[in-house]
Amino acid sequence: MTRQPDFSSTPRTSRVPLYQQLAFAACALVAIAAALQAYQAREQAQAARRRLAEVSRDVDVARGRAQALESRARAARAGMLAPEDAPPARIVAEVASLLPDDVRLERIAIDYRHGGVLELLVVAHDARAWDRLLQQLEGASRIREVEPGPEARAAEVRSLVRARWASPR
Amino acid sequence: MRLGSYIGVNIGGVALLGTRTYLAVDASCVTAAEVVEGVRGQRLRTLAHEPLPQGAVLPGPLGPNLAAADAVRAGVARVLRGVGRARVTLVLPDGVGRIALVEPPRGVVARDYVRYRLAASLPWPAAEGVFDTLDAGSGRVVGAAVRRATVAEYEQAASAAGANVEQVHLAPLLGLAGLLRERREDEAHALLGDVAMCLAFVREGSILALRSRRRDRSRGEASRLRAELVRLASQAANGNGSVPLAVSGSDAPGLRPDLGAGATGNGSAPVPALAGGAAEASWLPGIVA
Repeated sequence: MTRQPDFSSTPRTSRVPLYQQLAFAACALVAIAAALQAYQAREQAQAARRRLAEVSRDVDVARGRAQALESRARAARAGMLAPEDAPPARIVAEVASLLPDDVRLERIAIDYRHGGVLELLVVAHDARAWDRLLQQLEGASRIREVEPGPEARAAEVRSLVRARWASPR
Repeated sequence: MRLGSYIGVNIGGVALLGTRTYLAVDASCVTAAEVVEGVRGQRLRTLAHEPLPQGAVLPGPLGPNLAAADAVRAGVARVLRGVGRARVTLVLPDGVGRIALVEPPRGVVARDYVRYRLAASLPWPAAEGVFDTLDAGSGRVVGAAVRRATVAEYEQAASAAGANVEQVHLAPLLGLAGLLRERREDEAHALLGDVAMCLAFVREGSILALRSRRRDRSRGEASRLRAELVRLASQAANGNGSVPLAVSGSDAPGLRPDLGAGATGNGSAPVPALAGGAAEASWLPGIVA
């Protein structure tokens, strides 16, 4: 609506008609209600996003577990040893704990594809030390099928020992 | 004396938006027009008309206008019976103000420019005046100035009769507003008040030329008016052949036959013919849409 000229002798504050006041109040109420609803919707959306993120994390974790279980199952079916079941560090630590003082481990090879076959290149100070090593290996609960390699018992014994890591069932 | 009333289109939802009463005082009569303000504009609901004793009102820019203030107050009170008094726009008659068509420079407040332009020609100091404008289209405005004391005189009469005056308008400006709204092609209009008149040439919602002067109601007024309208049209229409002439005002029906075959009324006031010429008031088209 265009402004109407007003030649009043004294300036008047424009009186807003009742219907305009009511319309303004109604608009204000609607605006407040809309703002509240928008705020609530925003909060709900944020909560839903948080929940979705949690569920996604759970799903990822579960998927990781499932994949690990599947790989173990596959490995078990193929006669393989899963690295998760027998980490190299654990095997090395176990073997090292079995070595007598006068025996030196020069190399260790772990073949996971064939069920955890171990190849230990050891150097013993003398034949007695060599015997103690074999005794220790055979007595270890995690090591089976110990096969000592060729030996010369005259002096220092340098030989390859084959064995198999026994994973827990 | 209530001469009649008119019920316009007035559905419930529209009526809820409120009503406004236009109270016009002129030398011969007081007229009240109650309009319903709706979402699609304003519709006339009631029109009342009350004659005044001769000489009771003397519209002019200087000096007292209400020579018989008691008679005017009584007339206003009678005409306000049955119409809303809470929101009243007081319409001052032709002749009380000075009006002019001006083109304010860009960036200048139109009202200030009108004050600057009219100040020198006013018969009273500009500080005593009230100035305002009506957008006339094409970057022009119709500026008007009224002496504050004159406005106060009419306001007091209306207030004494129980009217809550919210706004004061001028009859010629209201009439011009109606012409602007119609957006007709070239037309020369004479808006007649009882003592003064306003001549305007309009083209598609713009006022191209405007004059106002006091009326000479002696014999031969119609022919003089016709000559003046033709002169105005020939100047403003750039020799655009014959231009329709229109005349409106309470005594327009009496002048129209002598103005010539082409002369018409303004044709936009959606009111029935009423006795006393109230329905022909030149400002009436400005309050309905």
